[in-house]
Amino acid sequence: MEQDEIKELRSDDNDPLFDKTNMLCKTFPSDFRQIRYFTLLIVQSAPNEIKELNLLEQQISEVIKNAVKHGNHCDINKKVIVWYSFSPTHAHLIVQDEGEGFKDLEKWNDFNRKRLECLHKQNFEELTNYVSFRTKQSDEQDGGNALFAALEYWNGGFVYNGKRNGVAMLKKFQQKRHGVYTDGE
Amino acid sequence: MELKIRKNGDVYIIDVNGEMDLYNSYKLKELVMKMLEKNVKVFIINLEQVDYIDSSGIGALIYICSTIKKMNLKLSIANIHGSVKKVIELTKLMGYFPISNSVEEALLMVKE
Repeated sequence: MEQDEIKELRSDDNDPLFDKTNMLCKTFPSDFRQIRYFTLLIVQSAPNEIKELNLLEQQISEVIKNAVKHGNHCDINKKVIVWYSFSPTHAHLIVQDEGEGFKDLEKWNDFNRKRLECLHKQNFEELTNYVSFRTKQSDEQDGGNALFAALEYWNGGFVYNGKRNGVAMLKKFQQKRHGVYTDGE
Repeated sequence: MELKIRKNGDVYIIDVNGEMDLYNSYKLKELVMKMLEKNVKVFIINLEQVDYIDSSGIGALIYICSTIKKMNLKLSIANIHGSVKKVIELTKLMGYFPISNSVEEALLMVKE
């Protein structure tokens, strides 16, 4: 079996994914009850061909949830700003909150490295310790697995800003033309 | 999300119907914990009618699965499909969960 590629969370204010040119923007209060509704308001402007199996909605919902819950601690007075741009070949978003930033980024990378090692070795017993990333702030409702999926899903990059309270992400889609898949941009 | 329990011999099948999201996934976890208190030992979670799952739903399945594994009891998760399958694949947990393609296959798995 080939070694899995190690994808890591990183933070970089200068990453090109933070270029907001031509992106639309919406601002939401940090209302936990409305996370999926806010997500739908964003996703409704995406073309149907990239809304495959609700996955785009699900992945955007996770990032908005992180901003509302872990960034702004559901403080209704704090805002989440979402910049977004969609086409048949891409989904590009930037989600920013008013929180202190994701301080455990390095711990998460370390945890994920160990998780991938277990997967590589097919050591499912040991993997039990690495299926859910927990911090002091985690509660019972937190799955602790959203960022594992995010790093896989956002194949054009998933990067935090320097303060780590904003994250930019890009998903490239293959465009189906006459039954033939071509690479996204 | 709706949860229904049916019985096949000693096996308890939980049919989940709806979306397993951040607002309701805890219900499945709570139900399984209550069933464990009542000494249920063999579980099938049927996800045939689930078309949406998020990290909270995956988290609930992880919690249930690890609890049942620790107690040396039996579990199979049946009919994972569509975006649910995709999300589990993204988290690379397909090998972690005891998965079966149908309730019939799950019954064979847990009766082994």
